[in-house]
Amino acid sequence: MIQARALTKRYGGLTAIQNVSFEIAKGEVVGFLGPNAAGKTTTMRILTGYIPASSGSVSVGGFDVALDPRSAKRVTGYLPETPPLYPEMLVHEYLHYAATLHDVPRGERRDKVARAIASCGLEAVSERVIRTLSKGYRQRVGLAQAIVHDPAVLILDEPTAGLDPIQIDEIRKLITRLADEQGRTVILSTHIMGEVQAICKRVLLIAFGKLRLDAALDALQAQGSLEQMFLSEVEKAKREELGGAAEGSA
Amino acid sequence: MSHVFAICGRELRSMFTTPDAYVLIGVYMFFAGFVFFFSLGSFILAIQQIQALGATQYLEEWNLQDKVVADSLSTFSILLGIVVPLLAMRGFAAERATGSIELLLTSPITSAEIVIGKFLAIAILLAVVTALTSLFVALLFLYGNPEVWQTLSGLQILFLYALAIAAISSFVSSLTRSQIVAGILGIVISILLLFLPVAGYFSQSETLRNLLIWLGPNTHLEPALRGDVRSEDLAYFAIVVVAFLSLARAAVDSLRWS
Repeated sequence: MIQARALTKRYGGLTAIQNVSFEIAKGEVVGFLGPNAAGKTTTMRILTGYIPASSGSVSVGGFDVALDPRSAKRVTGYLPETPPLYPEMLVHEYLHYAATLHDVPRGERRDKVARAIASCGLEAVSERVIRTLSKGYRQRVGLAQAIVHDPAVLILDEPTAGLDPIQIDEIRKLITRLADEQGRTVILSTHIMGEVQAICKRVLLIAFGKLRLDAALDALQAQGSLEQMFLSEVEKAKREELGGAAEGSA
Repeated sequence: MSHVFAICGRELRSMFTTPDAYVLIGVYMFFAGFVFFFSLGSFILAIQQIQALGATQYLEEWNLQDKVVADSLSTFSILLGIVVPLLAMRGFAAERATGSIELLLTSPITSAEIVIGKFLAIAILLAVVTALTSLFVALLFLYGNPEVWQTLSGLQILFLYALAIAAISSFVSSLTRSQIVAGILGIVISILLLFLPVAGYFSQSETLRNLLIWLGPNTHLEPALRGDVRSEDLAYFAIVVVAFLSLARAAVDSLRWS
């Protein structure tokens, strides 16, 4: 469903990600794990067509994101780190708007919006102004926006960041349900190990802009503590990175 | 097209559900009213003096159309040069600041659709502003007999002028995350544009002088206010709108590359 081939992104002299390749099959729920500033958001932004890669290519749902962005974007639902909300809009108005932008035909918009509202548990607030919602509800509106056009692929950038434990639990359950609902392919980024364990079946570990690990969660858990593995991998990446930098300057 | 209308509709709804536009239009109407009644007052005073002195040869020159309608509309254009950038400053700057631009840029829509949708919304708002402005001159029709076509062509050129400033402000708004910066820059540009012809008069080179005079929007505003609608002037405003919307489109495209 998603194929990333040798993705590299440079911002001026800074290389955000380097030579990242992976493939994700239909229906997989993948955790994109890594410390802050590892390149998770950059990778997701490239997958969604928000920014282009400096080199490499991505296809989503069979459409090349750079060559046929409109088709690729139609099958992708995206929740950025900050939900892209308009505070002065009503919840259902906003979802209707997102549906229109994603080419949901006029006749189906009302149904799809109602479905997204039901899926994300927003019935009670659908007539409310977004500005007045709690952070947990805003996150749900963001999720509803991502699924309103029934995308085959769902890309979620730190969907539980900044929420309280109860909200985190709710959002995780919601994501699991959204993934199961239609056999959706889901990628979510996080720096919390537990999140991957709670939701995902497979993990991609990224650190210092490079893909360090790509494995099924079950297999990893058999090898021992995930937490430990995560830390040691990041540590290893850091040493290599610093070592490389030292060599480069020498 | 449905994307353009969706974006335009959302912009309009947000303009009319938040106080910003009401406040700005209110302030504009207050000062426009002040300007209008001041010029009407001085006109009446002048006529009375001319009659008291018996200098009837000046009555020809002191007519309602030139001294009240055209002069007021001309001053309104200066007010619009301040108000329009403030109305347009939210455009892209606010979307970038709140992150909602990510929804637009990851939707299957083009940058041109985004720019046109937003501009259409401002154009509709400015049509409302022009309609409100026409209320002042409409008052004159109750008591005097200004010329209908000249007045309408004056309002039309005022609207075109506002659209040009809006296009420039939209472009400026696409360059920054800060609404304040966008607003202030827009006002500075619209004031600088007013001074272009003035700078032209001081220029030694004839070509430069003509160019600077031609570039100033008021060069193209004044003839129509006096009843002389020239296609050259209409073309000027159309060129400004198209040019700056194209620049805004390029700027939105470049957001993807930053």
